[in-house]
Amino acid sequence: MTGKPASLLEVRDLTATFHRDGAPSRVVNGISFDIAPGEAVGFVGESGSGKSVTARAVMRLAPEGSSIEWGGRIRFQGQELLSLTEREMRDVRGRRIAMVFQDPMASLNPVMSVGAQIDDMLVRHTGVSTRAARKRTVELLGLVGIRDPAIRADDFPHQFSGGMRQRVLIAISVSCQPDLLIADEPTTALDVTVQAQILRLLMRLRRELGMALMLITHDFGVIAGMVERVYVMHRGDIVESGEVDTLFAAPKHAYTQALLAAVPRIESTRRPA
Amino acid sequence: MLRMILVRLALTVPILFGVSIIAFGLMRALPGDFVLAAAGTTAVSDEVLAVTRRNLGLDRPIWEQYGIWLGNALAGDLGTSFATKKSVVSELLPRLAVTAELTLMAGLLAMLMGATTGLASARLRGRTDWVVRGLNSLLLAVPNFVVATLIVLLFGLYFPTIGIFNYVPFARDPLGNIGSLLLPALSLALTVSVTVSENTRAAVLEVSSQDYVMVARAKGLLARTILGNYLVKNALTPVITVTGLQLAALLGGSILIETIFTIPGMGQYLFDSVSRRDYPVIQAIVLVSSTIVLLMNVLVDIAYARVDARVSYD
Amino acid sequence: MTDASSRLRSRGQLLVAIGLAMLAVLLLIVALGPSIAPYSPSATSPNSLDGPTALHWLGTDSIGRDLLSRLIVGGRGTLMITFVAVALALAAGLVLGLLSGYVGGRVDLTIMRLLDVVFAFPVFLLAIAVVAALGPTVKNLILTIAVVYTPAMARVVRGPVLSVKRWDHVEAARSVGVGEFAIALRHVLPLVVSPILVQTSLILANTIFTVTALSFLGLGPPPPDPNWGSMLAEARQFMELAPLTVIGPAVAIVFASLTFIVLANGLREMLDVGSR
Repeated sequence: MTGKPASLLEVRDLTATFHRDGAPSRVVNGISFDIAPGEAVGFVGESGSGKSVTARAVMRLAPEGSSIEWGGRIRFQGQELLSLTEREMRDVRGRRIAMVFQDPMASLNPVMSVGAQIDDMLVRHTGVSTRAARKRTVELLGLVGIRDPAIRADDFPHQFSGGMRQRVLIAISVSCQPDLLIADEPTTALDVTVQAQILRLLMRLRRELGMALMLITHDFGVIAGMVERVYVMHRGDIVESGEVDTLFAAPKHAYTQALLAAVPRIESTRRPA
Repeated sequence: MLRMILVRLALTVPILFGVSIIAFGLMRALPGDFVLAAAGTTAVSDEVLAVTRRNLGLDRPIWEQYGIWLGNALAGDLGTSFATKKSVVSELLPRLAVTAELTLMAGLLAMLMGATTGLASARLRGRTDWVVRGLNSLLLAVPNFVVATLIVLLFGLYFPTIGIFNYVPFARDPLGNIGSLLLPALSLALTVSVTVSENTRAAVLEVSSQDYVMVARAKGLLARTILGNYLVKNALTPVITVTGLQLAALLGGSILIETIFTIPGMGQYLFDSVSRRDYPVIQAIVLVSSTIVLLMNVLVDIAYARVDARVSYD
Repeated sequence: MTDASSRLRSRGQLLVAIGLAMLAVLLLIVALGPSIAPYSPSATSPNSLDGPTALHWLGTDSIGRDLLSRLIVGGRGTLMITFVAVALALAAGLVLGLLSGYVGGRVDLTIMRLLDVVFAFPVFLLAIAVVAALGPTVKNLILTIAVVYTPAMARVVRGPVLSVKRWDHVEAARSVGVGEFAIALRHVLPLVVSPILVQTSLILANTIFTVTALSFLGLGPPPPDPNWGSMLAEARQFMELAPLTVIGPAVAIVFASLTFIVLANGLREMLDVGSR
């Protein structure tokens, strides 16, 4: 990286506390990190390390039926997200920050055509008519590599494979050209062969649309070649961070070493060094 | 799809067959009684009984009688009423129409009330949920004939001018007809609405926790769009299914409600026939309503499978 | 999650406690019956169709019989029929369900198809037809209700048995040579108890409805035995003259069904049966 560009996302002392049936439990313990415009940053950690909750904090999305109390500061393009009203936050979600989720099989509404699920987002954020939105929807489906997009737009989710559904979900997330795309374990639920395709698609879109990417994964193998910097999370804390190459070459924290050791391919390249 | 319908229908045939055996067998459980009831009085000579027995074909072996009865039933002839000496079908059909209307109204009311309360319960949670579920438990404990009796009592005491016993035929005055069925339908609907409400609540809660609702929120969609296109659209199928499966309860309940409100439907016909020991009519009603319920269940199954094919991830 | 479920459990315990208290009242009525009734249920007095008075707390019926006494004695009849009928349905359902789920194969198929046939009838309609055919005696009423609710009971037993019998500890027991019957009794039955308890409470509530509804239509136990359903029907006839006589039987019926509904809901939450 050349110089130090102004931050797109600046998170300071972020805490997340779950409130479920009265008993609070803290899952993120005051972490700080930055993402520059157009930069790709990885968040690595096991399940339960707080990385997904961190991602959702940026979107201010709490799981249905529970409430999360966020603390600290989340500045996005100079705007403090945690002090926005829910209504103002709805304009940020999808429009300026978009998200791709882990399980493409469960992330599409089964009773709406996939096209309609892109249309409603375009109509909501760009104020175009449904008809005009459909034109853009077809372009988007083509962009993410769906063949015959004009015809496929009217198909329902169950007519698509897992990989194709994740492509549709990616089309949804980039439809309003967000400045930051959060991808939460985007390939975990997919076949190995499809994983690489989806990662390549994310890389291409990031380049073409100039988005910043926040890639969340438990798998260092996914991070390699995808991001410039990495934050390693463990039990709600960031235990290590740095340039991806440096981190791979010389992990300082024992936890990071353990995570890297879990990836055979990386380990074999590391050993001679 | 067509294959699935055919298979489902084919599976129903043996059950229908069993149903017909029970409907037939029940009324022949006491053969002497059957002849006496047919003859109309208990004080008849043996010769008259013998003639009656021969006329009804009761001197033949029982399986032959069943065969004849079933054959006739399949051809649309459900026998002759002992009491009126008229064909059961001609007496049953207009009454069936009245019961169908009552049941349909009750079903719609139940769905309306149940869906509203269930949705409110699941979305607002907290106190609303608590109140709705408490009221549901209470409502479930009040049998429809008690509700009907209390309604009749209240209206008799406080609004004696509103004749709630005046059933108005549809042909004479459609609006008056619907009005005259409103209170009966309401008393029939209350218990069923509890089932619908509980199922709506469960369905909405289930859908709310689905990933696609989280995705919809992440898209920044408006709350009403999420409610309509994501929650309700997905929760609707189980709700409609459950309501459809309550038809048996509604049909059973209509016997009581029609008797209390003196509505000339199938239920009252059954009640009258039971007290007159008009066995062919009882047989016919048991057969017809079970068939309707069975076919309705098949319909619900098919409708569900249609949607399920879209939901299932394969 | 654990917090939510433990809270559900404790609320379930509260509901079960309330339900059991209500059940105790009902059982007391069954056990004591005539001995706690202030009058004989068939004793008449010159004050017919009276409202509640100091002498007759719930008033009197059309021939001057004390309604409270009739309600207590009638409750005994109604509840006895209910309990015996459901006990029979439970026994039959257990046998058929265990047999069907455990043996499987052709036995399962035959039993389930036969039960499907009974299941196909609207419950109340079938009950009316059977009672109409056999005559409205207490014995017939009990048998009818037992038959009508057996399929629901058998299905609830069969489902868990099917899934439970493949579990490891059942396999383990089999591998060390424990007899099949002993396995069914010791390992499978305890695990299907929760859903059966819930279903039994629900069926008890339904049976209260069926029994009282049948006697409401005049198809209950023959007079002069009092019964909540027939009392309500009687009160309805004289409603213009003595509207308050409706309240006693109506409240009694609702109280009895509420008892079992509260129990069912409580058990469901306490034992974590079903989805929510």
